[in-house]
Amino acid sequence: MSTFIEIDHVDRVFPLPNGEEYIALKNIELKIKPGEFISLIGHSGCGKSTLLNMVSGLDKPTVGGVIVEGREIQGPGPDRMVVFQNYSLLPWLTVRQNIGLAVNRVMRHLPKTERNKIIEDNIQLVGLKHAAHKLPGQLSGGMKQRVAIARALSIKPKVLLLDEPFGALDALTRGNLQERLMEIVQESKVTCIMVTHDVDEALLLSDRVVMLTTGPEAHIGQILEVPISRPRHRLEVVNHPSYYAFRNEIVYFLNQQKRSKRVGKVAQASSVMAGNGLEKINLNIGFIPLTDCAPLVVAKEKGFFQEEGLDAVNLVREPSWKAIAEGVITGRLDAAQMVAGMPLSLTVGAGGKLPVPIINALVMSRNGNAITLAKSFAQAGVKNLGDLKNKLMETPDKVHTFGMVHPASMHNLLLRYWLASGGIDPDQDVSLTAIPPAQMVANLKAGNLDGYCVGEPWNSRAVYEGLGYVIDTSLDIWAGHPEKVLGVKEEWVAKYPETHLALVRALLKACEYCDDRRNREEIMGLLCQPQYVGSLEDYTRPGFIDPYNRGDGTEPQQLLRFNQFYVDQANCPGRGEGLWTLTQLARWGYTPFPKNWVEILERVRRPDLFGEACRQLGWPDTESDRHNFALFDGMVFTPDDPIGYIQRFTIHRELKVSEILIDSVSSIN
Amino acid sequence: MNNYQLPTINYPLSTSMNPSDKISSQTDTAFLSIDNVSKVYNTPRGPYNVLDGVNLEVAEGEFICIIGHSGCGKSTLLNMVSGFNQPTNGTVKLHDKPITEPGPDRMMVFQNYCLLPWKSAYDNVQLAVNSVYPDKSKKEKTDLAQHYLEMVGLTDAQEKKPHQLSGGMKQRVAIARALSISPEVLILDEPFGALDAITKEELQEELLKIWRETQLTVLMITHDIDEALFLADRLVMMTNGPSAKIGEILEIPFSRPRDRAQITEDPRYYELRNYALDFLFHRFAHDEDDEVTEEEVSNQWGFKKIAGIVGGLAAIAFVGYGFFNTFAPKGENAPQPAVQTPAKP
Repeated sequence: MSTFIEIDHVDRVFPLPNGEEYIALKNIELKIKPGEFISLIGHSGCGKSTLLNMVSGLDKPTVGGVIVEGREIQGPGPDRMVVFQNYSLLPWLTVRQNIGLAVNRVMRHLPKTERNKIIEDNIQLVGLKHAAHKLPGQLSGGMKQRVAIARALSIKPKVLLLDEPFGALDALTRGNLQERLMEIVQESKVTCIMVTHDVDEALLLSDRVVMLTTGPEAHIGQILEVPISRPRHRLEVVNHPSYYAFRNEIVYFLNQQKRSKRVGKVAQASSVMAGNGLEKINLNIGFIPLTDCAPLVVAKEKGFFQEEGLDAVNLVREPSWKAIAEGVITGRLDAAQMVAGMPLSLTVGAGGKLPVPIINALVMSRNGNAITLAKSFAQAGVKNLGDLKNKLMETPDKVHTFGMVHPASMHNLLLRYWLASGGIDPDQDVSLTAIPPAQMVANLKAGNLDGYCVGEPWNSRAVYEGLGYVIDTSLDIWAGHPEKVLGVKEEWVAKYPETHLALVRALLKACEYCDDRRNREEIMGLLCQPQYVGSLEDYTRPGFIDPYNRGDGTEPQQLLRFNQFYVDQANCPGRGEGLWTLTQLARWGYTPFPKNWVEILERVRRPDLFGEACRQLGWPDTESDRHNFALFDGMVFTPDDPIGYIQRFTIHRELKVSEILIDSVSSIN
Repeated sequence: MNNYQLPTINYPLSTSMNPSDKISSQTDTAFLSIDNVSKVYNTPRGPYNVLDGVNLEVAEGEFICIIGHSGCGKSTLLNMVSGFNQPTNGTVKLHDKPITEPGPDRMMVFQNYCLLPWKSAYDNVQLAVNSVYPDKSKKEKTDLAQHYLEMVGLTDAQEKKPHQLSGGMKQRVAIARALSISPEVLILDEPFGALDAITKEELQEELLKIWRETQLTVLMITHDIDEALFLADRLVMMTNGPSAKIGEILEIPFSRPRDRAQITEDPRYYELRNYALDFLFHRFAHDEDDEVTEEEVSNQWGFKKIAGIVGGLAAIAFVGYGFFNTFAPKGENAPQPAVQTPAKP
């Protein structure tokens, strides 16, 4: 990768009048490729503009340096032009003269006719030919800013630095100018760094959005790649299936920083309250609003947490599975409802991330997912997987997009398994995209998705609104698959072992309560409350209480195991199904298959802790048997030959097998 | 209106070119009705038709947001409700009575706050209270001012002058001032446009709280779709000028009280948002170059400035400073000075 601009471990410290120091920026490291568009986003006072000023040369880092094309920046220069929010035009000069000022100064060596041509070209570029003779006072704010952009570009800078360029304009005028800027940048191929407050602006324009934490000691909190192809148009961008997932990610980041700003520093996990013989009785537990969050809601509302001594449990509604993972890793959440593969994928560091050992001592639900297809497939007569394959093959040039909620979710793994068993390569024949459950229906309706695999109530909601139909439930694909599990950091369990067992006991009781069908009406009432799922009963009941309606014209069917919380040893985190999950993560290239899979499963899936919690309740602690099993296609999985199992699939990615050493990696870092 | 929820599931985009049908079926006479309103300004280039045939009926206690590109006549429309301006054709009626002049039953809040810089936050509010309730006792008046400053969370900062207050706090004072005389309609002209994202969200939440408590009718201009989706019962989307009209009205179906995180989890949120974006950036996309010419700029800005001054000084006007007459330019297009006899409560 060629690096064009390198911001190399930059600190910026300002002396205060009282002799102390204010550390505005701390350890900023960023490499920018030529032609890239980078946005810096953060709350006011986070040092975004200071950082930009150090690239422009108007300010110098206290520690570290900024390198452009291999040279350290010593001061301002015509290769880096800045556009400010307040336009900074000379009010007594016309548009043409304002631009001419820059060109005539920097390009003195060129003949006058050539310089005039440059000036006119740039006026043309920003579409201001008709206003070239006007004074700034006669222009609207948006036009003034276009003059400033033309002036900056006229001297052919290598870098364009934009400091909240549209901040002074109203949101709609801003929108028009953003598209204009995008065209101009595309044409001139200049590298851009833009400071902004506006999430939509950042997403529309940028290749990468760099999110800064709130100062003091502001640093890069997160970098989001925006993989939306160019040229971009606003309405196409907002209709990209992942758009609102990206947007929510940035908004979520900013909200977290807002919270931390209010308390004056980055929010730490709340202080520890001990009691009732437990190390910690105040817990923040993350959940996603879905029907199968029922055990958590029941444990809270029916007092099972309190029965087990957990007096102050706070259920935290999270926007996405990604946020759940982040919350548990950073300690913002003590524990969380996780998708079944998440504890393993976090532990092995799937996707090139740092491994974080997670313990999973309880399966909270089984089944409960379905694959929904857009109504248009029904009209085309698609009734099963084979039909779908044929239908997709009819339009090989069209990209068909399917939604799932997280790479480590059963939704993804089962959807991939299902597609591949029908001869549809989930990476080549279709495009899969991870978006939060709540955005599936909106995307299906807008035509951004052809279908998705998600938990309820989002399949029934599509059926209810006549947008789609269920082609298969996860009960059809693998009856009894693990779905939602309890995930906590290994480190956390080491610190609060009794609390962890109490949590498992409380949730076990809740799971049992959920599977007593006499309680389902009551639970339905709880789930539909706005602080939990907040859905309408009409589309939450199917599967949970009422017969499941696939919306394909067939009679709704009573599926007693559709949401399985307790019966048939639902709660034991067996190692066999964990191993199956590892085979699938490796099959699709998220992680190498761990040679030391026994060790990893022993650490993550914990039937021993589950058993202990059962014994404390006086319940049987039966572990699930170590046996062979098969999914709907009949291909047998044997826990003794996971690698052979992967190799028997016709469709899989290149298989890598390696030892995954969790502790050594985390201790080095 | 607090549990406003659209009864049918065919929720989104139930739009209508003639929205008055809907409301009039609910009430015999609308609380506020804008009936076939047009506004023509005379410019050196000839008549300029800002608004053409605008119809809108607003129920009591409703929260309406109005969105449109600059120059679409949003402010002109609201100025006719506040009474700073008169329609060329058509009528604006409150309680079935035509609006002919500003009055304390309709209070306006501007983006630039319009506070008197030499007076403290408390005095700015007090001024309005004194002028509208000259007959109340001193204590009653003090209590009123205190009450509304408390409502906007400014009790601790009430002795500060505007220059000592942040933008968000200044806007709070302006809101307290507007509320202190118990108007029936609160008219907000892009009140949070100048505030940073955090302050903006805080104030939006406070505004909703106040709206719930006071059961006011609110008309608010905004450029921000997210703001409108969070606040409004209905979002009025204007077409572009000249001859702007109401293009569509979007019903915002989220139940109340609203929680920002929860409505952004609702799939309808994205649908409504993209629908509004499509309206504003595709179907009624706007090219500023077409519309901004020197003449119009001077006309528009001149008008806005006058409206701003009128708004800022309205409080003084109520007290009865006659000198205000000399401020307002005389002419066909200039708004009528806001001097009037205070309403006797």
